[in-house]
Amino acid sequence: MYEELKIDLENKFSISFEVMRERRIKIIIDKKQAIPFLSYIKSKGFIHLTAISCVDWIEEGKFEIVYHLWSYSNKIHIILKTKIDRKNPLFETASFVYPVAQTFERDIHEMFGVDFKGNKRQIPFILEDWDAAPPMRKDFDPVNYSKEHFETEQYTEEIETKVRKSQRFRE
Amino acid sequence: MKEFEYYIGPQHLGVSGNFGIIVKVDGDTIVEARANPGYLHRAFEKLMERRYFVSNISLICRVCVFDPDPQEAAYCMAVEEIANIEIPERAKWIRTMILELSRISSHLIYLGSLTSTLGLYTVMQWAITDRDYILDLLEMITGGRVYHIFMQPGGVRRDLPEGFNTAAKNVINKLKSRLTDYYNIIFNSNIFINRMKGVGILTPDYAISTGVTGPNLRACGYKIDVRRDDPYLVYPKLDFDIPVLHNGDMYDRALLRMKEIEQSIAILEQILDKMPEGSVWNPVPNPLKWEVPKGECFSRVESARGELGYYMVSNGTNKPYRVHVKGPSITHGILVLEEILKGQRLADISPILFSLDVCPPSIDR
Amino acid sequence: MTGLGRFGQLKSLWVTYFVTGCGGIELLPVITSRFDAERFGIITMATPRQSDVLVVSGFITVKTLRRIIRTYEQMHNPKYVVALGACTINGGIYWDSYSTADKLELYLPVDVYIAGCMPRPEAIFMGFGHLMAMIKDGKADGWKRYKENYEWYKKNQDKACGGGKKWRVRDV
Repeated sequence: MYEELKIDLENKFSISFEVMRERRIKIIIDKKQAIPFLSYIKSKGFIHLTAISCVDWIEEGKFEIVYHLWSYSNKIHIILKTKIDRKNPLFETASFVYPVAQTFERDIHEMFGVDFKGNKRQIPFILEDWDAAPPMRKDFDPVNYSKEHFETEQYTEEIETKVRKSQRFRE
Repeated sequence: MKEFEYYIGPQHLGVSGNFGIIVKVDGDTIVEARANPGYLHRAFEKLMERRYFVSNISLICRVCVFDPDPQEAAYCMAVEEIANIEIPERAKWIRTMILELSRISSHLIYLGSLTSTLGLYTVMQWAITDRDYILDLLEMITGGRVYHIFMQPGGVRRDLPEGFNTAAKNVINKLKSRLTDYYNIIFNSNIFINRMKGVGILTPDYAISTGVTGPNLRACGYKIDVRRDDPYLVYPKLDFDIPVLHNGDMYDRALLRMKEIEQSIAILEQILDKMPEGSVWNPVPNPLKWEVPKGECFSRVESARGELGYYMVSNGTNKPYRVHVKGPSITHGILVLEEILKGQRLADISPILFSLDVCPPSIDR
Repeated sequence: MTGLGRFGQLKSLWVTYFVTGCGGIELLPVITSRFDAERFGIITMATPRQSDVLVVSGFITVKTLRRIIRTYEQMHNPKYVVALGACTINGGIYWDSYSTADKLELYLPVDVYIAGCMPRPEAIFMGFGHLMAMIKDGKADGWKRYKENYEWYKKNQDKACGGGKKWRVRDV
């Protein structure tokens, strides 16, 4: 079954296809062909979009958008990966193909700063009145933000050295 | 008539946990609803990138408060798949037993909370007391009542204590004898039949297109379960049934969870009879210095509310590079809730919210 | 308050029903029939206008902190605050998160701390027993401290929750 799927998909799109283990396939695709690929694969039986994730590769200067698709009839899971630019993160929405993508794209827009064209509901989801950088990027430091805004309990000198010594493998 | 806007906020008896809903009302009928999550956001995915692989297990059991064990199981399965580790047979059976105990305790809280929004407070007293006997069993194995931190990559932490089999059989017999009382008071009573049938209907096409999973999807007529479709641990060797109902309203969702409690009790009896002997942990390298090889994977587990998935990326160091937690309630609590509430009455908001079994900490992470 | 008033209040402490964090999972066994809290007069009440005690159970995020402060200010004097768990003392396991506040004493006056993660139901009963002893001796005066040092509390609240915004009167 994996062979037929591989021949069928490689005829229509330019992808790199790899079988990781049974029931898991990894496909890497270019960003211009991602949404047409989703429309085609939905007609082949992959009707369930499990999640959309985003990974921040800061040294390369790219964001990677990952789609997780599951087929109830064939029992195969596809991990579909595409990369977009980090300085100017724009992409298209998948909510015309899978309506559930609207919530996941709203989450990625808030946490990473990616703008999905066509998604009408990119309003704040979890954070309220947030005015700093998007927090899940790799160059946002949560400890600095926490020390600036929230004070913590002050212990005496002796207790502080004892606690710090016992946690020496934390930076 | 004029339209009013109401804020059903976090401090309310009719909301499960710390969650908010904003509704626009015309008279007594709801015109538009909007979900307002975010009160429990602790930034788990950012914190997990700053801790070692083994230290993360004490964090992730707090993602879903009502059944914390599927989170540990999915995380450990993800790490074991990237690092290519096998776990011994007895550890798989112990993990399955803990997952089924956690499923029964979560469904008992569901029954107690749903009926207390409709006015019957007796079932809540019964259900939380029965759940306490299961928590006593879990305390005997792991040492903690609510958060267990018992599974780790390579197996489980320690073996079962002596006298566990007799204690477990006592608890199972006690639970079996209580089930007829629950059936009589909830499902055979005219008040609940009139109040719950035909309310909050979820049609099958809408359910599939919006990504509904778990018991909510099985109450619409689809026989879909991760334990059968994408098997993990010891489920291929066990003999259990998957109950399915067809109407998709509140009554069917509640009755389905009652039947799942019976199936889980049957699974527990099989596990206690067939568990093999052996070791419970395969050694892994020193956890403070263990460098997991590069790779990524997606692991999937059936929790009490639906399908739970972990996407993990590792880049060769001793801390994970990216972990994405996808809980089952992120589809139930936002889009499905806003669609079902249109046209319902004000008094039905909190029964519908509880019958979809929304767990707010797993939306906010 | 006179001695008779204090005696009446400590025998019937009503708790506002507000589940603010993880700790709410161990409040459910406390109020049901295995560890029964109603024999001491403790029951849950739906509105803050008619209750005595606010139980802050677990971690405090910034979005919830704004609602906790508004709920506390709606309660009538004399009122008490019980802090449950290790996250209210020094941040607990979320000490380095950008979204949780670390120390509750800076924002609200706390009377009793109960340690643990989660504290067992027996530990919660001991904490309420200490609160009742403090009320009998007249030492539980968090509400008086809040009135006298309101400027200090307001400065800390503005630093964490945003000062110039109108969350104190806005209806969201």
